[in-house]
Amino acid sequence: MIYLDNNATTRIAPEVLDAMQPFLTEHYGNPSSAHSLGRAMKAGVEQARDQVASLLGASDSSEIVFTSCGSESDNWAIGGFLEQNPNKRHIITTRVEHEAVRNLCEHLGEIGNEITWLEVDGNGELNLDDLRHALRRDTGIVSVMLANNETGVLFPIKEIGEIVRGNSDAVFHVDGVQAVGKIPINLKELDVDLFALSGHKLHAPQGIGALYIRKGLKLPPFIIGGAQERGWRGGTPAVPNIVGLGAACELAGKSEGHDEVRRLRDRLEDRILSGIPNSLLNGSADRSKRLPNTSNISFQYVEGENILMLLDEAGICVSTGSACHSANHQASPTLRAMNVPYTAAQGAIRFSLGRFNTEAEIDQTLAVLPGIISRLVEMSPYEKELRALGARG
Amino acid sequence: MELISSHFQKPQNVGDISSGGYVGTAGSLVCGAVVRVSLRIDGTQRILDARFKAAGCSCLVATASFLTEEIKGELTGEVGALAQPPASTVRQALGQIPTDKVHCVSLFCEALLSAITAYSDSMRDEWHGEEALICSCFCVSERTIEDAIRAGGLRTIAEVTKACNAGGGCRSCYSLIEDMLASAS
Repeated sequence: MIYLDNNATTRIAPEVLDAMQPFLTEHYGNPSSAHSLGRAMKAGVEQARDQVASLLGASDSSEIVFTSCGSESDNWAIGGFLEQNPNKRHIITTRVEHEAVRNLCEHLGEIGNEITWLEVDGNGELNLDDLRHALRRDTGIVSVMLANNETGVLFPIKEIGEIVRGNSDAVFHVDGVQAVGKIPINLKELDVDLFALSGHKLHAPQGIGALYIRKGLKLPPFIIGGAQERGWRGGTPAVPNIVGLGAACELAGKSEGHDEVRRLRDRLEDRILSGIPNSLLNGSADRSKRLPNTSNISFQYVEGENILMLLDEAGICVSTGSACHSANHQASPTLRAMNVPYTAAQGAIRFSLGRFNTEAEIDQTLAVLPGIISRLVEMSPYEKELRALGARG
Repeated sequence: MELISSHFQKPQNVGDISSGGYVGTAGSLVCGAVVRVSLRIDGTQRILDARFKAAGCSCLVATASFLTEEIKGELTGEVGALAQPPASTVRQALGQIPTDKVHCVSLFCEALLSAITAYSDSMRDEWHGEEALICSCFCVSERTIEDAIRAGGLRTIAEVTKACNAGGGCRSCYSLIEDMLASAS
């Protein structure tokens, strides 16, 4: 199995599993208990909190609160802030956010808030003047992702934070789910108030996330209950998962592996774009503006779902930009916001690499893919367009 | 789903009829799929060959592959009747299709009907007969239908369509055929 879908989820790293194992077996206490078993659990949680804080460059580990997933962190940050500040009814976000932010903001718009949606250009990038113009006295929160899950395009959150801080009283929330573990982050250098992350995107298990809450920021509890997570999120914490997230953050903070992922992604991307005539890169061609592991490539005039199925048959896992369901089959909102033509968005494939991929796997993918594409090109009714691209004789 | 999967893995009849084919195209603004079907039809309204090209999901490709194979040797009227919405017989033949994929089957049927309509339109242009034309989609005259009913002892519209194509297209002649069936019995 060649797994090139690491933006969807990642395999649990052996180091992570090793760290979790004792907390699934001999350490079975409740971290709130005062006895030794409980204290061991508590120590595991607090070590993990330090590990997460360290990867993010938070100034204090008390700024990290564990949640169940990235979507929970996003919902809590945005929804919680609005609940706390009922006189702030204006939210600024982007057209290309993950559903956890996009659908939440759509919902918040329907129940009486006002949403400004920042547009992106053909490269998937923002115009920061749009943000400057959008900020108002009643803007409560600005929510912008750090890295786009589909294209890997990075938003300049340092600049965005400065603009928000310099021109408004709004708080700045960053959905960092797709970026953590893939690029260095130092929250100490950023004007970021809230920052969401998810464990399973960086080789921790599914079911664990975290929210960074800048010291001093007031947020209502997400779950009202006991004193866990200092009263912010009641309920017994998922200690094994928390320990796993901590270990994953520690692993991601080590330098090895990152350069290799980038090298393999570049190799894959370069060879597809130069070797397959109807291929087209989605997102900025300037790789410094994209995640080092992601390539979103359209195979124009053929159907992405077909490519996915045939690659799957060949043992290679990727994602499409869209899924075919009668009611809502549409190209991804991200690609639509970038004005990618329909016939290209339809054939978009996301390749997202991870630390376990090898050069042999990339070369195997490069060996299989051209045959799949030419088979679909043969079947496509867009003969004239494909001929113009040199994709058929 | 096995039928769908095997036809998607090895699609049959990909291509076009090189010349003299009747072509129908359908596209969906909802899912962005496009499919084109071309048919070779002989003088007795029988489909000799069927080909398709598609840029759409695997279910669309499989439907196109399966149906182009199935309709070879069939009369245009019968195939037209099968492809009419909601195309229940076709859907049954394909096996379990998830409800969110039914539109893919409909899209191919739409292209197929469009090809058959192209054929019947061309036949109608050539129609110079003196007899009353009952089924204008397939140029079937009143006398042809009466003869078919008498010769075959036909009792239903479906039997008439099978025998002579009448009623296989837009269905606007159903009441006329019903009248003819009633007066024959």
